[in-house]
Amino acid sequence: MSQSLRPYLSCVRSTLTAALSLSNFASQAAERHNVPEIEAQSSPELLLNPLTVSRNQEERVLVEPSVNSVRVSIRIKQADEIEHILVHKFTRFLTQRAEAFFVLRRKAVEGYDISFLITNFHTEEMLKHKLVDFIIQFMEEVDKEISEMKLFLNARARFVAESFLTPFD
Amino acid sequence: MAAINWRTINIDALDPESAYNFDLSTLTPTIQPISTPDVQTLSGQIRQLLRGGNAEGALRGALENAPYGADEQGKVMPQALHTTLVTECLNQIRATEMSPLLQRIYQSDGGSELCDTLMKYLYKGMGQGAASHTSGNVHGGGGGRNLTPQATGGFTQAGGRSFGGGEGGMSVFLSWHEKLVEMVGPGSIVRVMSDRRTV
Amino acid sequence: MAAPEVHHLFHAPIADHSFSADRSTLAVARDNNVELYHRAGNAFKLQDELRGHDKTITGVDIAPRSGRIVTCSQDRNAYVWEPSQNGEWKPTLVLLRINRAATGVRWCPNETKFAVGSGARIIAVCYFEEENDWWVSKHIKKPLRSTVTSIAWHPNSVLLAAGSTDGHARVFSSFVKGIDERPEPSVWGERLPFNTVCGEYLNPTAGWVHDVAFSPSGDALAFCAHDSSVTIVYPSGPEQPPQAVISIATQLLPFASMLWSSETELVAAGYDCGVYRLSGDANGWQLTGTLEEKKERPGMTEQREESALNMFRSMDLKGRSGGAALDDTKLKTVHQNSINTVRAFQENGGQVRKISTGGVDGRVVVWNV
Repeated sequence: MSQSLRPYLSCVRSTLTAALSLSNFASQAAERHNVPEIEAQSSPELLLNPLTVSRNQEERVLVEPSVNSVRVSIRIKQADEIEHILVHKFTRFLTQRAEAFFVLRRKAVEGYDISFLITNFHTEEMLKHKLVDFIIQFMEEVDKEISEMKLFLNARARFVAESFLTPFD
Repeated sequence: MAAINWRTINIDALDPESAYNFDLSTLTPTIQPISTPDVQTLSGQIRQLLRGGNAEGALRGALENAPYGADEQGKVMPQALHTTLVTECLNQIRATEMSPLLQRIYQSDGGSELCDTLMKYLYKGMGQGAASHTSGNVHGGGGGRNLTPQATGGFTQAGGRSFGGGEGGMSVFLSWHEKLVEMVGPGSIVRVMSDRRTV
Repeated sequence: MAAPEVHHLFHAPIADHSFSADRSTLAVARDNNVELYHRAGNAFKLQDELRGHDKTITGVDIAPRSGRIVTCSQDRNAYVWEPSQNGEWKPTLVLLRINRAATGVRWCPNETKFAVGSGARIIAVCYFEEENDWWVSKHIKKPLRSTVTSIAWHPNSVLLAAGSTDGHARVFSSFVKGIDERPEPSVWGERLPFNTVCGEYLNPTAGWVHDVAFSPSGDALAFCAHDSSVTIVYPSGPEQPPQAVISIATQLLPFASMLWSSETELVAAGYDCGVYRLSGDANGWQLTGTLEEKKERPGMTEQREESALNMFRSMDLKGRSGGAALDDTKLKTVHQNSINTVRAFQENGGQVRKISTGGVDGRVVVWNV
């Protein structure tokens, strides 16, 4: 485990805990509607200052809080082309199944790989600290997953190359 | 005339009474605009303190005089200058000194507010890395597909210059953040989010 | 201190709750209905349901003397419910004339009026018009610039405090000719025609105001905002700057609701799920403690030893310093989610002895102060 991962994750944790103070808030722009204000962006005073937590140039989390919803966007580490492709495939797989995840956003915020949208209905239904745990766990799992896939891909490539070259032995 | 797509016009923006046109500056009535030269003199004084080895005094001075209300055209300059200044102070202080130093600041008069300001700068510092990254990418990438950031030298330099070397800079912010949260709790983070006086 | 009395009613958020004067009936807002619970022994049993709103109910208040219940909802309506002869509750629609969600409702202390806050940047002050036999409203509009989040009445039933998401806490006059008697002059002002702004306060960070409250005497105003702070204002007189404005920033998550338990003590609760106590006077205030009991759960120590490895693992992987995965689905506080409302439950000689809190976790808890 890298040295800077712990402070990074604990920073994300405390930021999320603070951001998830949501209330049930009906829209003041549209009658009889109740929409996530961070997506509607219809009243500037209902949005709070967005915060960024970064571990390095490559990995960072953007937390955009509002009165009844929080948008959390994660940029996953991509050291090279292969990782870039893998991250793209992986996040696409997840976002296409967004309804199974409840808090997943169908499209990532620009500059990030995957976004979550947590509304007051989620914090009412689920335990707040468990939601935070979920995001944190996702963040550590996804790194692991990507590097595992990369190793697997390399091993497979080596195997393919070897069997391709055997006849010429 | 045919060029206007009527469907994409945000009619709320045209109504001065609508919630969309809430004037956020009315929430920050007490802010005085600060000009760039003022900030420069101040940062000169604070650097003096830093060179003299008085990192605590320097940090305290920098936080007490955070430029909130920079005038419109100079909004970016003084604030960016001041952020670099605070970052310098933070970099000067050794890890073992962080906790006792924060403790002293927190327990002094108006210390809670200083800690909130420090928290703002920590997030600002971490946010800056992200900003320089995206701009560097647009500049050097030449199309979004070619995403090999570490290979393009231009952008890492740009990032490195502003806060002393890639990951190292961030880990300074992260460890300060950890120490600070231990002391002032989530309340301080909530204040950074809700405070309209951004740094 | 006796343990708090916990009533876990259901698994849904309680936006607002209110007890009847004899504390035997409890009205709870649950989604689109208000449920009436009756005390049976130590528990509360569901007795009746008030159906009529078609969006989430945001406020419910029982008038202590008349027993009338007023409810308001995000469907822009408010109803006054009165018991009829056959024991059923009969709703009367209130002409609110607002075009956005109602956010909260409170009876004034003498029960002739009630005020409804709304997302239309309006406070509707409602009173009964005899000749037409219905509830009508007058609007307080200026200078509200965003959704009204909370409403509190001054003991004289004329002054009204409101908190809003534009970061301001304001004090208005809601004097209605023919309904109200002319109030005694107070620190807030002497002549008070309708919609007079008697005070407008902004705290330094301008976070959304979640709740406002007048002190029992009505001479001080407290409000809590989304920047985790509580601000207490002591006005000195009309048209003069207040003699003291004390703002305390806490280390906790923001408070959502609060109440003066006496002239020098506040009880506040909110997103931290716990109930906290603050005390002070015009010279200064501070957070003095919590109402939660500090109890060591049995078997805690053994678990801790066993899970030392897990603890370090969770610190390393998840960046969390707490214990391991064994029992972390349960919070240490009584409420398991944020607290929405704090209400006085029992008063004694101007001192609130017991309070009740209602939370997002579907619990109503009665605490000894």
